[in-house]
Amino acid sequence: MGMAGSGGDGIVSAGESLISAAAYEGYHAMMTKSFGSQVRGGESSCRVRLSTARVQNPGGTLDVAIALNWEDFLKFGAELPVSGDTVVIYDSKTGVEPGQIPLVGVTPKEVFAVPIGEMARRAAGTDKAKNSVVLGLIAGWFGIAPGSIVRGLNKKFAKKGPELLAANERAFHLGEEFAKEHPLATPRAMAPPTSSGSKMLTDGNDMCAAAAILAGCEFFGGYPITPSTEIMQFFTREVWKYGGAVVQAEDEIASIGAALGASFAGKKAMTATSGPGMALKTEILGLATIAELPLVIVNVQRGGPSTGLPTKPEQSDLFQAAFSASGDVLRPILAPTSVADTVDVTVEAFNIAEHYQTPVILLSDQEIAQRKETVDPIDTSRFTFIERKRPTAVDLQSYARFRMTEDGISPISHPGMKGGNYQGAGIEHNEQGNPTASGKVHAAMNAKRFRKLAPLQRRRDLFRIDGDPDAPFALVSWGSIAGVCREAYLRATAEGLAVKLLVPWLVYPVAEEIYREFFGSVRAGLVVEASHQGQLYRILRMYVDVPRGVTSFARDGANPIQPGDVVERLRAAALALQSPPSAQQIACEE
Amino acid sequence: MTTTNAPLPTYQAKDYKSELKPIWCPGCGDFGVVQAIYRALAAIGRPPHEIAFVSGIGCSSRIPGYTTAYGFNSVHGRALPIAQGIKVASPELLVLVAGGDGDGFSIGGGHVAHAVRRNTDITYIVMDNQIYGLTKGQLSPTSPKGLHTVTSEYGSLEEAVNPLLYVLAYGANFVAQGTPADMAGLAEVIEAAIRFPGFSFVNVQSPCVTFGEDDQQVKNHRATMQSLAKLGHDPTDRLAAMGLAQKYGKELHTGVFYKNPDPPPTMNALIKERQQVLSEKAPPRSRIFDRFLQT
Amino acid sequence: MTDKTRSIDLANISLRDALDLAVLVEEEAKDRYEEFADQMELHHNPEAARFFRFMLAIEAKHESRLAERRRGLFGDEPRSVKREMIFDIEAPEYDEVRANMTVRQALGASLQAETKAFEFFEAAAGMVQMKDVQDIFTELREEEREHQALVRQEIARLPPEGPARDDDDEIVAL
Ligand SMILES: Cc1ncc(C[n+]2csc(CCOP(=O)(O)OP(=O)(O)O)c2C)c(N)n1
Ligand code: SF4
Repeated sequence: MGMAGSGGDGIVSAGESLISAAAYEGYHAMMTKSFGSQVRGGESSCRVRLSTARVQNPGGTLDVAIALNWEDFLKFGAELPVSGDTVVIYDSKTGVEPGQIPLVGVTPKEVFAVPIGEMARRAAGTDKAKNSVVLGLIAGWFGIAPGSIVRGLNKKFAKKGPELLAANERAFHLGEEFAKEHPLATPRAMAPPTSSGSKMLTDGNDMCAAAAILAGCEFFGGYPITPSTEIMQFFTREVWKYGGAVVQAEDEIASIGAALGASFAGKKAMTATSGPGMALKTEILGLATIAELPLVIVNVQRGGPSTGLPTKPEQSDLFQAAFSASGDVLRPILAPTSVADTVDVTVEAFNIAEHYQTPVILLSDQEIAQRKETVDPIDTSRFTFIERKRPTAVDLQSYARFRMTEDGISPISHPGMKGGNYQGAGIEHNEQGNPTASGKVHAAMNAKRFRKLAPLQRRRDLFRIDGDPDAPFALVSWGSIAGVCREAYLRATAEGLAVKLLVPWLVYPVAEEIYREFFGSVRAGLVVEASHQGQLYRILRMYVDVPRGVTSFARDGANPIQPGDVVERLRAAALALQSPPSAQQIACEE
Repeated sequence: MTTTNAPLPTYQAKDYKSELKPIWCPGCGDFGVVQAIYRALAAIGRPPHEIAFVSGIGCSSRIPGYTTAYGFNSVHGRALPIAQGIKVASPELLVLVAGGDGDGFSIGGGHVAHAVRRNTDITYIVMDNQIYGLTKGQLSPTSPKGLHTVTSEYGSLEEAVNPLLYVLAYGANFVAQGTPADMAGLAEVIEAAIRFPGFSFVNVQSPCVTFGEDDQQVKNHRATMQSLAKLGHDPTDRLAAMGLAQKYGKELHTGVFYKNPDPPPTMNALIKERQQVLSEKAPPRSRIFDRFLQT
Repeated sequence: MTDKTRSIDLANISLRDALDLAVLVEEEAKDRYEEFADQMELHHNPEAARFFRFMLAIEAKHESRLAERRRGLFGDEPRSVKREMIFDIEAPEYDEVRANMTVRQALGASLQAETKAFEFFEAAAGMVQMKDVQDIFTELREEEREHQALVRQEIARLPPEGPARDDDDEIVAL
């Protein structure tokens, strides 16, 4: 369902009411929002996808399109795609005839011009109740959660007084009645939810911050930047409660600096930003690597370069995360693929950071970070939390901070620990932490810093692999696009295509063995991602013999990839296998 | 009979206004600031193409786009370094720099001291709204201690930066403050800042209507502002200026805090001097490699 | 009121300059209403935009009437009063508007502006030396009084309205 209007129409709050009612009833749901660039009062839209099964992605073509005015609706273009099967509902105040709606190249079969504004004024005396009318229409036509919507309205307007509540309830019922009086030609009522019991309704940024606190993070250093700011905001509300603290620093350099200081002092620490801020953090990231200090750095990717498309998703900071460093650096990069698994990935990021004494980049993206999604209640007892290896009393008798060990991990002290004194610094050092310019020591220390991360590349639990291991066709995808590919994988499988799917949480270092094994049976496939260059595809080719038939399907951010697009390309790739090799390139969009 | 006594400008304020329609929230203080800039520029009369207007990122940093000058809406906090580069490379340009309090005193705070020290002839206008506008209302370095925002749920724990005192202490030769509540006064201080030979700083109290505090809006400014000139302040007295600047955040003083009556040479002047001295004895370009000849 | 003009010696202003000043005051108000209307359209507030365009038309009419009168009396004699010398005499202040303002609030903003202009011309009339200039300023003051009445009338005719739009949930950030 996609809806658009202008700021003040409250279309996004209608979406929020709807999704929260659905979550309350036990539906699975997902909601994404999109806005114009005015700080206030711009055009706004949202997409809501409801299902009785898990929702993997925001979906493709709309089943229902709601336009409070056409000008605003059209501004969202490909974000709100309409087809002949879409039920189109719009405010008749726009003066547009149902046969003449301004959608190029499509003629929806069911179009309703509804006097939405007029009904709002009739019910509530103000246009402001338009969103309640819209909710009524949705409940009426599609049978979605009328009781819970009204319950939601009750909660929402409780503070604003009984009059406003009654007015909005009236508006809702007018909408509902209108829908009942003008039934759909092809009825499309939603099936009742299969699982009862209310779900959480949340987004990736909140899940990330909450999981960090769960993992024991006690320090957050930040600097506001869209779309990551909500992580800091969550910390500023909550972390104090667990003995932690937040510093909103003067810039990203200072914020990662403060976080690194907290880690040096022995605390689990985190910072969060987006691409431009990441660029500023680069130098101190290098310091964290050589000083072997645990740190979690979240980059909620947005469209780039520079200010780019700050409110749109893209997966184009992977090269930056992996390669922006002075010196020989290997830092783990983890990517969540949904709001729900942001929790697992965040906990994992802390565990890896603490265990391996390394900075870990958590590469989220605008969509996961800011979309609202239903998540089943989390049983936190299933997590284990790893603490950094502290020196024993014996270690402290002749402490060497960077002691050469077989696994490359040296017990780490922190100020306050008697006997554990050492100099943390960015300069190359010997085992005791004393500066050196010796080539031999430098080589040994580099080897140690790489060696300690080797086991990570064998962590199968950091990969989700589905499908027949011998399947000749493959999909690889990461981050928010993984949800699109998961649906594509299910559809292609249902079509009878022998396809398997690999989704990494650990994006870098490249787990060579795991990919080698996965690609063993593969003759054709796609690496699907939202960037211009196809950054994961290129990185995989640096480390792995990617089969020739596996090509990149990469699309620039803010140009949604739909499951249908993926299936189509996969089919083409499969067909190409039977024709001359030159046709294989069809599947490549770089 | 002539009833006016000002020289007639060759350019009018509207010549500096671009076609682009500001997307600031209606009521935002920045509307007044851009108007004041148009007027100051008209009074100075440099053609728009001889003006370079650099900003960082923030609501306020959109300002160059609303003028007909050459604009550079750069990255967050780095407007000053870019502007200084422009001025050093092209001393004949009129260079303006503008941005928010966050841009200037948080992320870009480290650059201010050096811009003052370098003393290139540029004018830095900060639209100080004590909040982060563009990112939706987080704490800014000039937010008063205790302020509740989305990043300070229980009130901020930090003291506010005092931009006026900072810049005075860095040794700036021209420091002024204005507010859109007094448009004539604002245009006047901006004009004076631009005319001043050397780095000049104007802190504009430019309220954010969307995230700013209710008691920090233009209406309150109108009721509480005090003109430094009317208070009898001597703008050539740096110490007196610092004394008054201490009141930042408590009282709203408008006008010139400090203007060095005997401004030191600008960096560009020093560069030019050095260029002249050294070029006299320099071999022609074509002989540049001669120095490597082993004689 | 001295903060509303710069470099104009009101006490000794000539008739020609007084007329030019009056034209510019209307022009300034007209431009401001146009900016406000644009702002309201950009922020999806067509009702307030419509009202500001209505005010724009009134100010434009007033301006051209005054300009004609000036031409009749002084032909093409060059102007010595410039736009840069006046500051929001009849133009409503920038901080009077809000993205989600109601029509009633928009009317309130222009009532304030008309009141401001009334006060300006009243003070100016009290200052000037020459009779013909005083007459002009008095006449302008009276017109502002009429404008005030017009706006008040409009306010009285408005249907009662609910509270301002609340679009807090739709603020965007970069
Ligand atoms: C490196 C970097 N970090 C963070 C941001 C996000 N950001 C954009 S503007 C801004 C602060 C806005 O406040 P201010 O500078 O006071 O200007 P205002 O919007 O209030 O005019 C921030 C944090 C960014 N664009 N780049
Ligand atoms: S958010 Fe604040 S600073 Fe930004 S445009 Fe709106 S009022 Fe101005």
